[in-house]
Amino acid sequence: MIDSDQTTSESTLIAKNNVQVSSLKPQAPSLAAATLAVFRKDLRIELRSRYALNALLLFAVSTVVAISLGLGPIAPRDNRDLKLIQAALMWVALLFAAFTGLARAFVQEEDTRTATALRLAAPPLAVYLGKLLFNLLLLLVLDAVIAALFIAMLRVGVGAPLMFAAVLAVGSCALVAATTLIAAIIARASAKGALFAVLSFPLLIPPLVVAIRGTAFALEGESWAVGAAPIQVLLAYTLALFVASLFLFKSVWEA
Amino acid sequence: MQLELANITIDYGPRRVLAGASLTLRAGQVLVVAGANGSGKSSLLRVLAGLQRPSAGTATYELGGARYQPEDAGWLLGWVAPDLQLYRELTAVENLRFFADVRGLRKTRAELATLLEEVGLAGRGDDALATFSSGMAYRLKYAYALLHDPPVLLLDEPTVTLDERGAALVERVVARQRTRGLAVIATNDSRELRYGDYVLRLG
Amino acid sequence: MMAPFSHTATGKKAAMALRSQLAQGAKFLLGLWMAGVIVAMFVIIPQYEGLGDAGRIIIMHVPTAWVTSLAFVVSGVFSALYLFRRRVSDDASAVAAAEVGFLFCILATATGAIFAQIVWGVFWNWDPRETSILVLLLIYAAYFALRSAIDDDNRKRRLGAVYNLFAAVTMPFLLFVAPRLADSSLHPNCAFIQGSQCDGITLELSGARIGLLGDSKLELKSLERQGDLVVADVNVTRPGYQVENHRPSFDLASGKPADRPEFDGEQFMLAVEQVDLATGTARLNIEAPGSGLLGNSRTLLTFFASMIGFTALFVWLYRLRAQLLMGEEWLAQRERTYGFPS
Repeated sequence: MIDSDQTTSESTLIAKNNVQVSSLKPQAPSLAAATLAVFRKDLRIELRSRYALNALLLFAVSTVVAISLGLGPIAPRDNRDLKLIQAALMWVALLFAAFTGLARAFVQEEDTRTATALRLAAPPLAVYLGKLLFNLLLLLVLDAVIAALFIAMLRVGVGAPLMFAAVLAVGSCALVAATTLIAAIIARASAKGALFAVLSFPLLIPPLVVAIRGTAFALEGESWAVGAAPIQVLLAYTLALFVASLFLFKSVWEA
Repeated sequence: MQLELANITIDYGPRRVLAGASLTLRAGQVLVVAGANGSGKSSLLRVLAGLQRPSAGTATYELGGARYQPEDAGWLLGWVAPDLQLYRELTAVENLRFFADVRGLRKTRAELATLLEEVGLAGRGDDALATFSSGMAYRLKYAYALLHDPPVLLLDEPTVTLDERGAALVERVVARQRTRGLAVIATNDSRELRYGDYVLRLG
Repeated sequence: MMAPFSHTATGKKAAMALRSQLAQGAKFLLGLWMAGVIVAMFVIIPQYEGLGDAGRIIIMHVPTAWVTSLAFVVSGVFSALYLFRRRVSDDASAVAAAEVGFLFCILATATGAIFAQIVWGVFWNWDPRETSILVLLLIYAAYFALRSAIDDDNRKRRLGAVYNLFAAVTMPFLLFVAPRLADSSLHPNCAFIQGSQCDGITLELSGARIGLLGDSKLELKSLERQGDLVVADVNVTRPGYQVENHRPSFDLASGKPADRPEFDGEQFMLAVEQVDLATGTARLNIEAPGSGLLGNSRTLLTFFASMIGFTALFVWLYRLRAQLLMGEEWLAQRERTYGFPS
């Protein structure tokens, strides 16, 4: 199967050339700098194409309008569980909007086949962290839009605004910690869109339930003594999945 | 500085495209891998770049007494191939600056401009890659591969889509690589066989 | 990779033969054992009061649920081993354990739903155990969906293993969160019931007469001795219900609860677990039927036999399946090396 055409001895080849190879491994880039580079690159591309942002925002608006129309012009104010229902609706809207946009960061690299160039050049952890930050930013923007729409269109009253913002932010961290690794996994499979939701959903049930409870507390204007518990659970969940992702990402990203 | 292949075997599903390739390539040498379409040229190069695991066997880079597996050798590799793509939304300079940043290199704008001039893209640095012709995009791949002065250059179909001046560029790049390290070139263009100190025929 | 199929040395051959004989024997014994468990389940163990023959399903239901969780752990361990050692056999074991686990997961869900419908009148209650097993079912399904969506064998194994481990990390949170999903649990395990006290609640006629048990308010009104029985008069207020009056009793002679009245509409029971007439105190508890199911020693033994049998069944099944998967891999390998047989 294999034959060498030329049988020139190696010594003459080396004598022919005056080769100087720098044998030093260059200093590895600092993780923070490389992470920031990946984040900036993704942000720049997103701002130019606005693919994920448009999809997320359109989805958010349509969901809120659908819920708003479904509930009619007058919200059921006499319902005891109103706050819980509103919190649940809000997180369902957030979740499904997130499903449409959060896989983008990795799927695009595979679809446009730029993943190879990135794989050869960037440290794997920098890729993961950069995309994690990008997804987090995306989701925080989505949080703000959905919260504003809910308050404006569904007349959701927020009892404890600060706690509300905190639960949304921490809940988004949990969502991003769970879905970023899954996005990297499904980017390398076929039927990516459907698979992303299928793989993410079972892992999102615990944080989703806690975030809904926490948001309901915030809407009702409970004290921090009550509201701190869900936030702590969400933080613990985020931390656990983040650390697991750091260990597992290299296996996902390798060719 | 050398590259060692030991019994590299590559399978695609039930098909074996490469069975037990072994060789050693030293600094200053260029290996040309020739063969028909589907003979496993590109697969071998992907294995050497750490982008694919061989079904059996090992490839090892030895540099300054240390040994590196292809998976951990991204920093010493420059790779050009038809299936290498850069970011279409970014300009040529933005692309190069990004890859320099993630590699931990500090490149001034002048250095990047020089590199672009070298690959024949002088004056096009601020144009988005999406506006480039396929030949120009291919030239930018050379800039990407040479950005970090890699001791190992892996070229898959080096002149595909390139014009005559592009072919001259490849010739220059290969000649210079002989003084810096080694190169492996996969091609089915018989004119490119002359680059090689060794020719490995597959298929 | 070819270990199960190629054995060169004669000594190895003899050892393999002995092993396969032992395996045959073990398989036979397992068959007998499971048959025994099934016979015992219908014939030997007594009916449980209040549940009738439906109670017998517990002998199947609990072990299948246990095997489901065991399979998840085994699958996770082999996934980690695969990522660590990259041996195809580890991945085959992980897949096999997940497949068998998935099967048992469906069985546990089905047997549980049947039992719940007969005894508690609902197929599904978002009870913590039900929620966890449903999530487990979804994770298994997602794992298989992922594997079927990747063509490249090595990538399929690697990404499958990563997902399996990643899902395993979320399990502790599910176990922590699930109990907070429902206000009450049908499963007889007080550790899972929110705010419940396993020991019940002790009320005093001349002191704390009213107390909270779970979300039910209990008020002890009187204690009355009738022969060997002590009858307690208790008012129960549950959220969303009218005040109910119940008269559970306690048998002084046997030292056990005697009459456990059921709540209106639901089959929870109120029991007096301990009584002290001198101080006028009584310990009250709310039980779901089935709580004392394993109190009988014959039932308990059958239950343990079933647990052992199901565990052995799981080990046998998943190893068989793993061997089959390895056989397929070996055939593919042969095709690559020697070409298709013509």
